[in-house]
Amino acid sequence: MAYRPAIFARIRNSWQALRHRGRWERELEAELRSHVEHRAADLVRTGLPPEAAERQARVELGAREAYKEQCRGAHGLRWPDELRQDLRYAVRILRHSPGFTAVALLSLALGIGVNMSVFSVINALLLKPLAVASPGDLYFVQTNQFPTNSFPNYRDLRDRNSTFSALAAYRQAPMGLVNGGGAQRIWGYLATGNYFDTLGIRPVLGRFFHAEDDRQPGASPFAVLSHACWHDRFGADPRIAGKTVRINSLPYTVLGVAPPGFHGTELFFWPEVWVPMAMQPRIEGRSWLEERGTSNALVVGRLRRGVTPRRAEEDLNAIIADLARDFPIWNQGLKLTLAQPGLVGDALRNPARAFTGGVMALAALVLLTACANLASLLSARAADRDRELAIRLSIGAGRARIARQLVAESLLLSLAGGAVGCGLAAAVLRLLSRWRAPLDFPVRFEVGADGKVFAFAFTVAMLTGLLFSIAPLRQVARADVNHALKGLPSATARARRWAARDLLLAVQVVLCCVLVTASFVALRGLARSLATPLGFAPRGVAVAGFELGLAGYGEEDGRTFQRRALAAAAGLPGVSAAAYADSVPLSIDQSTTVVFRQDAVDFRAAEAKKAAYYQVSPGYFQAIGTRLLAGRDFTWRDDRTAPPVAVVNAAFARQVIGTSAAVGRRFRRGRNRPLVEIIGVVEDGKYVSLTEAARPALFLPIVQSYNSETMLIVRSQIPASEMALQLRGTVARLDPRLPVHGTGSLAQMLGFAFFPARAATLALGVFGLLAIMLAATGIYGLAAYSVSRRVREIGIRVAVGARPGQVLRFVLGRTILLLAAGSVVGLALGLAASRVLASVVYLASPRDPLVLPATAFTMVLIGLGAALPPARRALDIDPVRALRQE
Amino acid sequence: MSRAADLLPGTLDLLILKALSLGPQHGYGVLLRIEQISGNRFQIEQGALYPALYRLEHQGLLEAEWGTSENNRRAKYYRLTAAGRRRLAEETAGWQRLVAAMSAALAARAGEVR
Repeated sequence: MAYRPAIFARIRNSWQALRHRGRWERELEAELRSHVEHRAADLVRTGLPPEAAERQARVELGAREAYKEQCRGAHGLRWPDELRQDLRYAVRILRHSPGFTAVALLSLALGIGVNMSVFSVINALLLKPLAVASPGDLYFVQTNQFPTNSFPNYRDLRDRNSTFSALAAYRQAPMGLVNGGGAQRIWGYLATGNYFDTLGIRPVLGRFFHAEDDRQPGASPFAVLSHACWHDRFGADPRIAGKTVRINSLPYTVLGVAPPGFHGTELFFWPEVWVPMAMQPRIEGRSWLEERGTSNALVVGRLRRGVTPRRAEEDLNAIIADLARDFPIWNQGLKLTLAQPGLVGDALRNPARAFTGGVMALAALVLLTACANLASLLSARAADRDRELAIRLSIGAGRARIARQLVAESLLLSLAGGAVGCGLAAAVLRLLSRWRAPLDFPVRFEVGADGKVFAFAFTVAMLTGLLFSIAPLRQVARADVNHALKGLPSATARARRWAARDLLLAVQVVLCCVLVTASFVALRGLARSLATPLGFAPRGVAVAGFELGLAGYGEEDGRTFQRRALAAAAGLPGVSAAAYADSVPLSIDQSTTVVFRQDAVDFRAAEAKKAAYYQVSPGYFQAIGTRLLAGRDFTWRDDRTAPPVAVVNAAFARQVIGTSAAVGRRFRRGRNRPLVEIIGVVEDGKYVSLTEAARPALFLPIVQSYNSETMLIVRSQIPASEMALQLRGTVARLDPRLPVHGTGSLAQMLGFAFFPARAATLALGVFGLLAIMLAATGIYGLAAYSVSRRVREIGIRVAVGARPGQVLRFVLGRTILLLAAGSVVGLALGLAASRVLASVVYLASPRDPLVLPATAFTMVLIGLGAALPPARRALDIDPVRALRQE
Repeated sequence: MSRAADLLPGTLDLLILKALSLGPQHGYGVLLRIEQISGNRFQIEQGALYPALYRLEHQGLLEAEWGTSENNRRAKYYRLTAAGRRRLAEETAGWQRLVAAMSAALAARAGEVR
C-alpha cells in the first residue's frame, strides 16, 4: 500500500485515542491486568499459591508504568500530556519571578497592542471594502484637477461609455429635516436614480429609488433613510415607508430604509438620508446640474465583467477628449483616472496611506524595541538557569525535551502578552471610534477589530515567542553539565567581551532615541504651526451658522432675516464687533472661483487664476480680526444698485493684478461678467489648510451676491462658548423653525484644520513615551541583573577597599557606555529620520536648536532613573554578607 | 536449554508478526508462542511486548479486538492484517538474505581471500 494512507490512518488512530482517552486508558490497564492474571494462572498450575503467583506475575511484567508510557507514545498520545506538563511548569516558573513576568508581559502587550491598533486602522481605512455587492468592481472616477466632475460631463460619460455597466453620481449636502422633534440640520446624499442599483444593495424596509424616479428636476420628492436615522429620529417605525417628511420645508415621501452598516460610498461621511439628484435645485437653492463649469458631483461606477480599469480609463478619456473639443473652456486639459472608492478617490487616500504607513513604521519600531527588551531580559534569565538546566540534563531529560519546554515557555509568555495587547488595542479602538468631529460634521471612524486583525496579532505573538526561544535554545545546546553543576559560570561566558545582551540593549537605546528625537521635532513643529499667522485672530470670536434654504427662505426674505439676525447679535451685551459671511477661512466649507485680469482675452479655465472667495457683510474684517492694508471695508451702500466691488488679499494683488497697489484696479470673473473694482486690500492668511503657500483670496459683499448659507461672526469679551450659546438663542428667538448648526468658538472650528498636525504629534508623542518606558525597563533590567550576578565580586572589591565611585564604575560602567553610544547613534539616526517627518508635520525642522539638548537630557534622565535603584543596591552591599553568599 | 541469545533490536517486531501469522492470539499467548517457536532461546521481558504490539497496531500491521480466552477471561486478541502479512514476508526474506550473507562471510577460510 502507498505510504500516504498509512500516515492518515495513524493520525486518525491517534485522534480517536485522544477523543476517547478514558476508555483507551481503561483498556490498556485491562489488557495488562489480563496478562498478569493469565501468567498467575499458569504459575498456580505449577504449584504456587495464588497470592505468591499473583505477586510473581506482576514482578515478571516489569516496569508497568514505563511500559504504559511507551504504549502511549506508540499511539501518539504522549504529546498532549507533555505539553500540559510543559505549560504547568512554565506557569510555575513565571510565577516565581513576578517582576520579570510583569515587565515581559507589559513590553509584549504594548508592542503587540500598538501594532494591532494601527493595523486595525489600516484595515478599516484602506483594506476593508465598502459594504456593497461585489466591491471589487466598483471604482471612483476622479479628474486631474478635482476629485469631482461636473454634472453634464457625468451625464455624457454615463451615456457614451462602453466599459461600465453603470455610472452613478452623488454629492453630500446639508438638509433641514423636520420631524416630531423639530427642525434639525442633517447631512444627506443627493444621488442619481441608479445609485442604489449600481451598488447592488437591498433595502431593509420598503424600496429604494431607481432611475425612473429621478427624471423630473424638482419633481422627484423621494427620500431613503439610513438605518441609524430611521432608528434614532423615527423610532424604528415599521410603517415608515410611504410616510411624508419635510426636508427644506418641502414634503418628501419616504420610500424605504437602507440596511444597517451601509453608510454611503464614502468611508468617513455617514449620511442620514438619500434624495434623488433631480431635487438638487430644491435642496441647495441654486442648480448646477446644467453647469459644465461647476464640478460638484462625485462619480462612482461598476466595471463591466472582464474590463480592466486601464481600459475603462482609456474609454472615459476618449469621451473627455471629445468633450474638450466641444467645450474647450471647461474641459481643456481634463484627464480622468479611476481610484478605489471610499476616500474621495485619491484626495484622502494618498494622505491616509502616507500617514498610516508612517504610523505603522513607528509601531513596528516600538515592537522591535519591546522585542529587544524582552530578548535581553530572557537571555539574562537564561544565564541564571544554567544550574537548573544542568540538573535536568543530568537526571536524564533529553535536550530535545528541555528545548521543547523552553519554547513552550516563550510561547506562553508571548501569547499571554498578545492577549493583554488585544485588550489594550480593543480599548484604544473603542476610544477612536467614539471620536466625533468638531461642530457636527458627520465624520466617523468605524474601526473595530475583525478576524484579519486577530489573525495578525496571533501571528505576531507567535513569531515573537519563537524569536525569544532562540537565546535559551542556544544555551541548552551548549550547556556544559559539569561546569554548571559546580556553580561555575560557563566557559564561553568569559571568553566574549560583549554578549548579545549588550548589543540588544544598545539597539533598544538607539530605537528609543530615534523615537524621542522624532517626538521632539514633531512637538516643536506643532508649537510653531499653532503660532503661524492665520490672517485673522480667532481668540475671542464666536460663530453660529444657519442655512436659510433649509427653512424655505427665498432670497428677499433671506436678506431681511440676515440683517435682523446681525442687528440682534450686535445688540448682545459685551459684543465689540459683529458681522456675517457665507463661511470663514479654514473651515470645512471652502469655495474657489476663477478670476481674469481686466485686459484678458483668453477665457479658458486653464488660463484663469484661482482664488478662494467669501461673501461677507460690512464689518467682517473687524469682527474676524483681519488687517486692512489699504483702501476701505464694505459699507451697506455697496448694494445691488452700486457697481460691483471687492476686497482682495495681498497675494491676489500680487498674483492677479501684478502690484500690491491694487486699490482702484479691476478684474473680471468670466467672459461676459462685469468688471469688479477693488476697494480694499487685506493681509494674507491661510484659507484651506495650514500648510498651503500664499494663495489669492477674494471677498465679495454679501449684499451684492446673496448666499443662503450664513455664519454669524461675533467678537466679544465674554468667553466664546458662552457667546455662541447666546447667538443660538438669538437666532432661535427670531425663527424657531430654523436649525442652527456649527455654534462654538472660532478656535474650536479650527480644530479641523489643525487635525493632521495634532494627530501626527499625538501619535509620535505616544510612541515616544512607549519607547521611553521600554528603554527604561530594559536598562533597569540589565543593570539589576548585572548587580545581582556579581554580588560576590562587589563584596570582595569593597572588602579590599574600593570606593563607592569605583564600585559604581565597575558595576554600571558597561551599561552607561552602552547608553552613551546608543544615544549618539540614535540621535544621528533620529535627525536623519526627522527629515521625513518634516513633510508630514508642518514646520517641523530637524535643525531646531532645542531638539538636540532636549533629547540628550531625556536620555540622561532615563539612564539615571533606570540605573539608580540597582546602583543604590550595589552601594548597599555588605561585604561580609556578600562573601558568605553563594 | 541452550544459551539464551540476546535479542537484536527490531527482531521483536518480526517475532511478533511471525507468532501472529500462526493464528490470532492475546498478548500473553503471543509471549508463550514466541518462546515456543524460538525454542525458549530468547528472554523477553514480559511487559516489553506491549509497546511493540501497540506500535505494530498503530502502523496498521495488526488488528485488535476484545474476546474471551481459554481460561474464560477477557483478553485483547491481535490478528495480522493483509499489510502485516506482506511486511512479514518482506522482513523474513530480508532476514534470510542477511543470515545467508553473514554465514557466507563467517565461513570464509584463509585460502579463499586475497
